[in-house]
Amino acid sequence: MQQNSKFFFGENRPCRLCEETRRFAYESMHGKYGDDAMSHPAVALDDIENFDTLSPTEQYDLSIRRICEEAPLRICDGELVSGAATLGQAIWGVVPAFRGNQAFIPSISHVTLGYHKALKIGLNGIEKELDQIIAERGQTEHSKSLKNVIASFRIWHRRYVEATTGEVQKNLLQVPLNPPTNFYEAVQSLWFMFSFTRLCGNWPGIGRIDEMLGAFLEEDLKNGVLTLERAREILAHFFIKGCEWIQTEPILGSGDAQHYQNIILGGVDEDGNEVTNAVTYLVLDVIEELGISDFPITIRVNEKTPKELLRRAAEVVRLGGGVIAFYNEDLILESLVRDGYDLREARTFTNDSCWEIQIGGKTNFAYHPFDSLRLLLDKTLGLQEETPNDYPDMQSLYEDYKKQMNEQMELIFKEKITDMLAEDDNGRYESWKTTFPTSVIDLLTEGCAENGKRYLEGGPKYRICSPHIGGLADTVNSLYAIEQLVFVEKKMTLKELSRILKTNWEGQEVLRLFVKNRYTYYGNNSDSVDRYYVQILNDFADCCAEIDARLPERLHFVGGVSTFGRQIEWSPYRLATPFGAKAGEVLSGNAGPTPATDLSGVTALVQSYCKGPNVRLTSGTALDVALHPTSLKNENGITSLVSLIEGFCRLGGFFLQPDSVSIETLRAAQNNPKDYKTLSVRISGWNARFVTLNREWQEMVIEKNGGRRDE
Amino acid sequence: MNDLLVTAIQRFSTADGPGLRTSVFLKGCPLRCRWCHNPETIHFSRQVLYNRQLCINCGRCSAACENGAHTTGEHRFLRENCKQSGRCVAACPTGVLEWDAKVYSVEELLKIVLEDRVFYGDEGGVTLSGGEPMAHPEETLYLLEKFKENGIHTALDTSGYFEPKYIDRLAAVTDLFLWDFKDSNSERHLKNTGVSNQTILSNLERLNALGAKIILRCVLVEGINCEEEHFKAIAETFRRLKNGVRVELLPYHALGGGKAVLLGNEDNGRREWIPKNETIQKAKEYLNAWGIETLVGGM
Repeated sequence: MQQNSKFFFGENRPCRLCEETRRFAYESMHGKYGDDAMSHPAVALDDIENFDTLSPTEQYDLSIRRICEEAPLRICDGELVSGAATLGQAIWGVVPAFRGNQAFIPSISHVTLGYHKALKIGLNGIEKELDQIIAERGQTEHSKSLKNVIASFRIWHRRYVEATTGEVQKNLLQVPLNPPTNFYEAVQSLWFMFSFTRLCGNWPGIGRIDEMLGAFLEEDLKNGVLTLERAREILAHFFIKGCEWIQTEPILGSGDAQHYQNIILGGVDEDGNEVTNAVTYLVLDVIEELGISDFPITIRVNEKTPKELLRRAAEVVRLGGGVIAFYNEDLILESLVRDGYDLREARTFTNDSCWEIQIGGKTNFAYHPFDSLRLLLDKTLGLQEETPNDYPDMQSLYEDYKKQMNEQMELIFKEKITDMLAEDDNGRYESWKTTFPTSVIDLLTEGCAENGKRYLEGGPKYRICSPHIGGLADTVNSLYAIEQLVFVEKKMTLKELSRILKTNWEGQEVLRLFVKNRYTYYGNNSDSVDRYYVQILNDFADCCAEIDARLPERLHFVGGVSTFGRQIEWSPYRLATPFGAKAGEVLSGNAGPTPATDLSGVTALVQSYCKGPNVRLTSGTALDVALHPTSLKNENGITSLVSLIEGFCRLGGFFLQPDSVSIETLRAAQNNPKDYKTLSVRISGWNARFVTLNREWQEMVIEKNGGRRDE
Repeated sequence: MNDLLVTAIQRFSTADGPGLRTSVFLKGCPLRCRWCHNPETIHFSRQVLYNRQLCINCGRCSAACENGAHTTGEHRFLRENCKQSGRCVAACPTGVLEWDAKVYSVEELLKIVLEDRVFYGDEGGVTLSGGEPMAHPEETLYLLEKFKENGIHTALDTSGYFEPKYIDRLAAVTDLFLWDFKDSNSERHLKNTGVSNQTILSNLERLNALGAKIILRCVLVEGINCEEEHFKAIAETFRRLKNGVRVELLPYHALGGGKAVLLGNEDNGRREWIPKNETIQKAKEYLNAWGIETLVGGM
């Protein structure tokens, strides 16, 4: 182990990689390649004659071809794997090909592609399968487009073969056209396919990297042709290359490390055997040392997960950055099987490259968030009306709320499902509407070639339309406060309370502080308030199930709980709440508590959350927990974090995102952003470098970690 | 079985024994350590905490109080008039006036700990702390017995100052003792804690004879007990333990002082008592030289 490195990645991080690799990481993480990409935003198509007369598919194919022919190549000093997404507009999620200086084809995110297949049979194998389909059914515009994409890919690949030398070149002569024969080739193959999809503007997840690469590494180690140290260096380059979209001066907003390059570790394979292998631990080594946050990692935890893996993960979690999160695998498998997936298929689950569950490489996923709090304030209570609504008791008030939620879901159904599907004469939704071309995605998504349909047109084997409920804790707390104030303690009538809320608690500061401070809210393991959490989620899940039953098979309408930071954009539209928040406050995130109301410690929060029907919400429910760094010190901190994760799973939690950073560190980073360029925090399904968040987002993160918001 | 006054239930407690623990802090202590880190746990009755900085001067407390303990206008808490009726606490909308402890029945405490059991893993469990838990011997013993019946690892954080007749029962239901070893100098012990260390030392000896598992927790207060003679006594005491786990050095910190302010005691801790880094290192090295595992801070 080398102790003196010129390159610093954070306190207490080990130093195992060679200095050359650390230099490469440092440069990449500090924006060298993102800046380079922004100097070449896109290729231009303006010279192509009669372009406007071509079909959208033809236009798309030509765009991909032009990208492959003209995108700048990038071969970095000392890099062990090659291939790069060098066109800057891809960072903004469009196909980076311009007409008149304008992008015109959207791209795809929230998907994990079928890289495992590309590794198994090579791109040549994929083309062979495609040829078979064409031979059987004849060529269509869609299959022709897939062929065109492969031909374009070969051009881009050839350019790299010619530009590289030595081992990298040797590897590229094998992969990704053919299946890899060793670990090094496998890493190159995975990177090159991933890089290609990103070059074309898409933001896919990686999926189960240890499952894809593990067998190659173990074989090489067994045969003595590779050392673990060398393997770590190679894998590190994969991660370093993945930082290529970091810029020196990013635009501030919701954070720049959110291209959904998500990775899954551990869990069982199709046959039910544990996947965890040497690659799993190497990934953790790399993250631990470099603190790279651009690949959010989720570990699938089951009853048999090796303790050693959980301890290693906890050691990395303790360093902060929020890079590692945890799935309760047993619950998720049960949930998927309930939804009708075959168990073997279910076991291959990944996510949409954020954290919502899907079968990777086979699924088209979309989610649709709604604010449950506004339904209560605006609809049920009618606070926007001249005369707000009155109810004789809690039960009738809740019945109305349930009705509002059902109407909201019908709205999502109408807007989103009918965006995708056309209604037939019998009122059934079976046929898909036409969308824009997505051939790069289609190529790596099972079902598209087979069905002759695009990613967004019903091609993939599975389709998920997922309503996500947000602001849940705030709604739960509002209902509880109404119950206590109006119907139990009878401190006031509902009419009086509504009037107070309409005027934003004006002149009622004493009462406001009373409800804010004197009731116990969601997140403290108090059944009297948590029961609303359970009730709303059960009613939500019932409603999803009812709509799901109307849809064709393999189109799933399943719910999830999330806000993904949306509590910020929702805040200006929210009126004052019955639990003492004023209009416009930034409130709860994901399935977590309203800020500063969880006062009983993290295990009580987990207990409240685990009362919900997580198994019925297959898309996922996310709980963020902030653990103070001092509570994680020493070996005992690791032991405790591991048993927290295990307890979370045993109680029936779904998805846990722990983070550990002190408020002092976050405030220091606000004051000296230059010194904290790589400090990363968990947002939701993505991480963000803290200094790339705007002030609103930074304050939200500070509050989530137990600090006081600086207004 | 009496109800207990509990100043705090700390979940995800990682510094009071092995693994993830639930620490329950019971109110009331027979000692009066001048450096007390948890001054809100000293008295056996509830007291009103007053957090002046967050007060909005609403006057509700003044209207509710029958003893004239709260002024109107710019609010002042006249503690000398307080008869602990709790009316001000009930009336205070902001939580600025708050009891320093909540009342729990032993069954309620048992329920809370049992609900947390799923998080304890192989090593964690419950720690009873205080105050001095053995100042409520029957309740403490009952709780420990119940925890053990439910297979929960038990730790007791104690000053060691309690009636010797409980030792056998206590040893049977306590997996680990976090034994405060405040000062080896008897005279100083009496002067600074208000009690002699004779009972404490003889209790320790008897528990040791029963083979109890013990962590020796030694507060370090600069200028009071930081000389080599005391370190030597720590080492000798520890070496005599049959089942000693380690020594944990707890450097005095001024946080207890902050809490004292809320209780109306303006002496907010003495900064000169905070041990210098060299002192802590010296103590640690001294004990290490005796071959004793020594940790600074809890676990």
